[in-house]
Amino acid sequence: MVVVDRTKKGGQYVGNWRTYMPEVDYERCTACLLCAMYCPEAAITANEEGKPEVDLRFCKGCGVCANECPVKAIRMVKEE
Amino acid sequence: MSEFDVMPGNKAVAHGVRLARVEVIPIFPITPQTTIVEYLGEFIANGELDAEYIQSEGEHTCMGMAVGASLAGARTFTATCSQGLAYMHEVVAQAPSYRTPIVMAIADRTLGWYWSLGPDYSDIMPELNLGWLVNFAESNQECLDMVLQLYKIAEDRRVLLPSMLSLDGFYLSYSYERVGIPDQELVDGFLPPYEAPYPVDPTISDRWPSAGIPPPLHTTYRRLFEEVMEDAKRVIAEVDAEFGEVFGRSYGGLIEKYRCDDADAVLVTMGSMTTAARRAVDRLRAEGERVGLVKLRFMRPFPTAEFREIAGEVDAIGVVDRVVLHGTGGGSAFADVKSALYSLEDRPKVMNFVTGLGGEDIPIDDLVAMGRKVLRVASTGRLEKEVEFIEHPLPKGAEPIRLDEEMPIYPGSDGCAGCGSSIIIRHLLKILGPNTVIVNPPSCSGVNYSGVVRVPWILANYAAAAGYETGIYRAFKHKGKADKIYVTGFSGDGGTVDIGLQAISGAAERGESMMWVCYDNEAYMNTGIQRSSSTPLFAATTSTPAGTVWKGKPQKRKNMILIMAAHRIPYIATASLAYLPDLERKIRKAAEVTRSGKGMAYLHIQQPCATGWYFPPEKTVEVGRLAVQTGAWPLLEIEDGVLRLNVKPRKLKPIEEYLKLQRRFRHLSKEQIAAIQREVDKDWKSWLALEKMGKLPWY
Ligand SMILES: Cc1ncc(C[n+]2csc(CCOP(=O)(O)OP(=O)(O)O)c2C)c(N)n1
Ligand code: SF4
Ligand code: SF4
Repeated sequence: MVVVDRTKKGGQYVGNWRTYMPEVDYERCTACLLCAMYCPEAAITANEEGKPEVDLRFCKGCGVCANECPVKAIRMVKEE
Repeated sequence: MSEFDVMPGNKAVAHGVRLARVEVIPIFPITPQTTIVEYLGEFIANGELDAEYIQSEGEHTCMGMAVGASLAGARTFTATCSQGLAYMHEVVAQAPSYRTPIVMAIADRTLGWYWSLGPDYSDIMPELNLGWLVNFAESNQECLDMVLQLYKIAEDRRVLLPSMLSLDGFYLSYSYERVGIPDQELVDGFLPPYEAPYPVDPTISDRWPSAGIPPPLHTTYRRLFEEVMEDAKRVIAEVDAEFGEVFGRSYGGLIEKYRCDDADAVLVTMGSMTTAARRAVDRLRAEGERVGLVKLRFMRPFPTAEFREIAGEVDAIGVVDRVVLHGTGGGSAFADVKSALYSLEDRPKVMNFVTGLGGEDIPIDDLVAMGRKVLRVASTGRLEKEVEFIEHPLPKGAEPIRLDEEMPIYPGSDGCAGCGSSIIIRHLLKILGPNTVIVNPPSCSGVNYSGVVRVPWILANYAAAAGYETGIYRAFKHKGKADKIYVTGFSGDGGTVDIGLQAISGAAERGESMMWVCYDNEAYMNTGIQRSSSTPLFAATTSTPAGTVWKGKPQKRKNMILIMAAHRIPYIATASLAYLPDLERKIRKAAEVTRSGKGMAYLHIQQPCATGWYFPPEKTVEVGRLAVQTGAWPLLEIEDGVLRLNVKPRKLKPIEEYLKLQRRFRHLSKEQIAAIQREVDKDWKSWLALEKMGKLPWY
């Protein structure tokens, strides 16, 4: 039988999908975390200050976070 | 004169259908067949073909439409493969007795139980013995030519049987080759319009085909069918010869022999692997080996006489099969070749190579090795191993990224960047938690999330998903655990409003206390954006393209909410990924309702799809928000029959604001936009009126 073992599961690397990368302006960020709620890949978690931190291994660079940020604290910048 | 073009096999089939002036085309998408019917849709949308194009809601119906159209005397075409062909099976079995000369293209693809998009013959072989003619094409040119030949053969009064044209998925369906497109005039001369001998048309006929005869006649009629199959062999040869005279290409009838003169041994192949086998034979011949190749063109009727003749000329035959008949130890063509030869006094050795399953490539090197093995058997006269499975090691794939925290769904997915269903599934599983079983019909979401979820994710057959779900739920109920595990259907709109509807309706009416979550991206996205009955008015999809004749989908979407409300289930809600608190509240409510055993909870969540609606991925949530603000996607719930609109803007924004973000609406005229606005306004008023009723009266 082919079986799935949930104890061996984890995230999926998608970092190589990206052409633009989100960059957070922590001065502007109000820690509302809407970006994290909307991120389709669950790539955003809260850091110690409660502000968003992007795990680039899981970020596809879709730009939803930047588009939804109510104070425009996220900018999409071209990957090197 | 004919013109040439470079095209994939699926397009070659579509050109054949266009040239054959097919009159009725029922369709249902499935990879890798879908582009055949998309090309046909484009021909019709642009006035290059005049045919009834019927977007069915599932293959069972689709084949029913084909049989019906053919019974009424129309030249009919359809196409499918894999799960779709299996789902059709009952109706496929019915078609021969009605003597309906349908041509159906099968862009072969592995049939479950281990799923693959790649081709093997596990889909078509179970259909072999029903009374259809079954032909295998090797090249894209042969695909086009055989559509024309098969209509001529199938419609011949000596035959009058449906026929399948098998083309290997991917290797032919999507591979580009140079193809000659014959002149319409020549085709018209070769293939006159179809005249059904006994159309079910009371205005012109007094006699119709029947499917009912008393048992004592069954054996007689089955024998007669075998005689028809024998006649078909002659017709196949005649039509191929005539085709050669008219178009300058012919293929050899039931089989084609390649470099078989003076051969000691032959390989037998079918479909696209034959081209690689030709090169393998060339290589062995260059080394002086006396090996030939037999291309099996028709599996039904089976070329028994041809193989008996070959048996007299060679000492060994090696049959290459892209399928296993489980329980027999070998492949399908192998079984047929052996049985054709058994009653001969003097028989060559017959061996079998099973290879290329799940769509794995069959390389020339492998075929050379097979050729050597058959030659060795021929020269030694000894056959040690009758069937060999040709297996290759698995290339190493990416490992999952281990995270400290246990989550019901981990980060990352195979979805498109910005995919809205990713947002939905994450919030759903966040709330339902680890004791959830997801039942998922084929869709984008199965591809996207089955790898990253930590809960059981059961891939269910498309039409049967609510059946799988009911079975799981009832088992838990029987074991007294139904309140501890959330059994949840997670399905696209196709799997809900179209092919899945019957099973969902059954479950709702029986009061199965489980959840069905439809994430509605308003088309069949996984197969490449074909319309569903949830696609909104005038949206362009690949099966409702905007062309010179067609202007997008002409129908309004189905009102699934009221369909579910007609079942009087305790909880129904629409939701949006742009309104997450509302969405999460509704998921909680649905969970509570099902856990308490009150009956089905149905959530219908709009899912903007950047890929299929043609907007930039960052706008997924923005588009969803505008859908609510314009009234295109009202947020509402029906709790024990009481309908409430959850978001009621003082004034709805003009629908154009929503439409203009999406290129699927780019072709709209002013009149069409106004018509959509009228429909939105009418629907909004209807919802308000229903809300006013307090409780829907039938609850
Ligand atoms: C019986 C059957 N027919 C056809 C298919 C091919 N198929 C796979 S996914 C799909 C469309 C899915 O559309 P939908 O249910 O709307 O989900 P989406 O991909 O849009 O998320 C189809 C037609 C299949 N797997 N099984
Ligand atoms: S760009 Fe997309 S994937 Fe990356 S963090 Fe933002 S929302 Fe998530
Ligand atoms: S096609 Fe649409 S629904 Fe499918 S993964 Fe892409 S964005 Fe998501």
